[in-house]
Amino acid sequence: MTSWRRLFPLVAAGALLVTACGGGASPPPSAAAPESAAPASVEPSAPPAADICTNPPKAEGQTLTFASYGGAYQEAQRKGWLEPYSALTGVTFQESEDSANATIKAQVEAGQVTWDIVDVGNDFGLEAHADILEPLDYTKIPKDEILDGFAGAYRVADITYGVVLGYNTEKMAGQVPQGWADFFDTTKFPGKRGFWDYSTGGIFEFALLADGVAPADLYPLDLVRAAAKLDTIKDDIVFWGSGAESQDLIGKGEVAMTMIWNGRAYSAKHIDNNPVEIQWNQQIVTSDYFVVPKGTPNKDVAMDFIGWASCKENNAAPSKYIPYGPTNKLATADPSKVAELSVSNINDTTAYFDDTWIVDNAQLIEDAYQEWKTR
Amino acid sequence: MHLFRRATSRSGRRRRGDPIVNRWALLAAPPIAFLVAFFLVPLIVVSLRSVTDVPRPTDDLLANYGRFFASAANLRVLGNTFWVAALSTVVCLALGYPYAYLMNIVRPRVAGLLLIAVLLPFWSSLLVRTYAWQVILRDTGIINTFLLDGRVIEEPIPLIRTTLGVMLGMSQILLPFMVLPIYAVMRRIDPEYSRAAANLGAPPFAAFRRVFLPLSLPGVLAGSLLVFVLALGFYITPALLGSPKDTMISQFIASAVQQRLDWGIGSTMAVILMGLTLAVLFIASRLIRLRDVFGSLEES
Repeated sequence: MTSWRRLFPLVAAGALLVTACGGGASPPPSAAAPESAAPASVEPSAPPAADICTNPPKAEGQTLTFASYGGAYQEAQRKGWLEPYSALTGVTFQESEDSANATIKAQVEAGQVTWDIVDVGNDFGLEAHADILEPLDYTKIPKDEILDGFAGAYRVADITYGVVLGYNTEKMAGQVPQGWADFFDTTKFPGKRGFWDYSTGGIFEFALLADGVAPADLYPLDLVRAAAKLDTIKDDIVFWGSGAESQDLIGKGEVAMTMIWNGRAYSAKHIDNNPVEIQWNQQIVTSDYFVVPKGTPNKDVAMDFIGWASCKENNAAPSKYIPYGPTNKLATADPSKVAELSVSNINDTTAYFDDTWIVDNAQLIEDAYQEWKTR
Repeated sequence: MHLFRRATSRSGRRRRGDPIVNRWALLAAPPIAFLVAFFLVPLIVVSLRSVTDVPRPTDDLLANYGRFFASAANLRVLGNTFWVAALSTVVCLALGYPYAYLMNIVRPRVAGLLLIAVLLPFWSSLLVRTYAWQVILRDTGIINTFLLDGRVIEEPIPLIRTTLGVMLGMSQILLPFMVLPIYAVMRRIDPEYSRAAANLGAPPFAAFRRVFLPLSLPGVLAGSLLVFVLALGFYITPALLGSPKDTMISQFIASAVQQRLDWGIGSTMAVILMGLTLAVLFIASRLIRLRDVFGSLEES
């Protein structure tokens, strides 16, 4: 006890110091009202978008920090976009491979924004995140050419991909699963099932598709019905936390089928040489997005880059290296990958996320998910 | 840590109020400053956040706490957390006590080897070891493949995604925290006591139970408390080796902070976990004298 007592004044002093410093160091983060979203605020001197596509503004000596998800994906972005853009403009890129919505929030709240362009998932970059993102400058981005619904005030899609049903052919006894109903049929297709351990990643959507809900009628999600469907195979579900894990689980046959991102299924088959195939029926076509954290000192150069990478001439460049498709309607994907692209396999069973509904109801979905999962 | 403190205090030169001791105490200033800056400050920020970062329409300071306790899943996972921590403590004690006892009775050189063996887990990252357990335990892993190939079993036996898997992974990581305090206390028990008991006619087991075991209890309590408190914060191991039923509160905190950007509820969960941990320590301090456990030599 004595040592505690002796320490107490120090601790108290420290606590005082903390409150004293804390008061000045962190101004209320969201004090500034979100800039009235007017991305198209016309600057008369803005260069026409076409110019940006072929001859982006020089920015010798400037450094942009690009954050994405690492691995083969970021390498494709590096080779397809960053390196050519550096050569054209003189911009130096620094990279982070750990894109995370929480990091953006932390940087903006602390007033220490070091990421200029961030590749984020489909559940980020909407109105709900307006106070931590810069509105995009659509004088530089060819909005009309971007897939309908994939260019918002704070985000523009950079690649498209599919959340698909992947299966290990050696575990199928010669049958081919036709969709999510077969995924949930462990009598016809014995074996474990993989799902991403992420409430808004598609697990509820796929359960509803399996239960006969039409793609167009998915939203608002019937979470009770979805949980009941998931209960039917609960003991056979293996949850994965990262793309690499899903690739490994399905490749090695630890699971017979899994929800997987089409690029990871591609890698399992073509890089790891494992017996993995994709069932494109009832895939969910979705996107990753570029966003710009609020308060970055390099906002203008970042917008230039996003404008350039969204052009039809440049937008499909990563598809040379990874089967993720362009978001510019006029861009042409690399011929060697066209068949493997999510957007090339769209049919009348294809579904889409309703990102706005998902973000607005994130708490509801998460609560239902955890309630089901830990039950 | 306490081992080192014991080692120095054993030399017997520590006297309270001695000016030399106080000057040496200045050496503690940098670590204390470090702890204040990087531990106490964040702790205060997190605690404040749990009451200030509440959902917009409300200004109820306890709104986050209301939200937390309104969810059955939260309470279930909180219960899991303490259950898994208690179970790991029991497992570590069952493995650690005999191990420490063995270390205590063998020749010093062998004891050194045993010490190295128990410290080995510290030399590789927790994440790597947990993935290694995955490779060993999963349906297509080493054990199941071996048994399947040997026609010992028809179907893979469930090792991974079970509480057993979590216990294997956690106890391997936590075992040193049990063995070291117990061993340190056992070493200080004078062997003459057990010999005296034997001389007075006690059979070996009675001598152990009535003389050695009670004397080693402070080590048992120290190790158990350490393991229990450390286990409460586990995250990666139950996520990778357990089933959803083994979900622990840290996984919920991560999901709140990273996925939903709901730092208010994340902070609230952290504060609740910390509060309950302190409550456990408090109850422990009522039942036993923590001073005996963590710094028995300060008084001697």
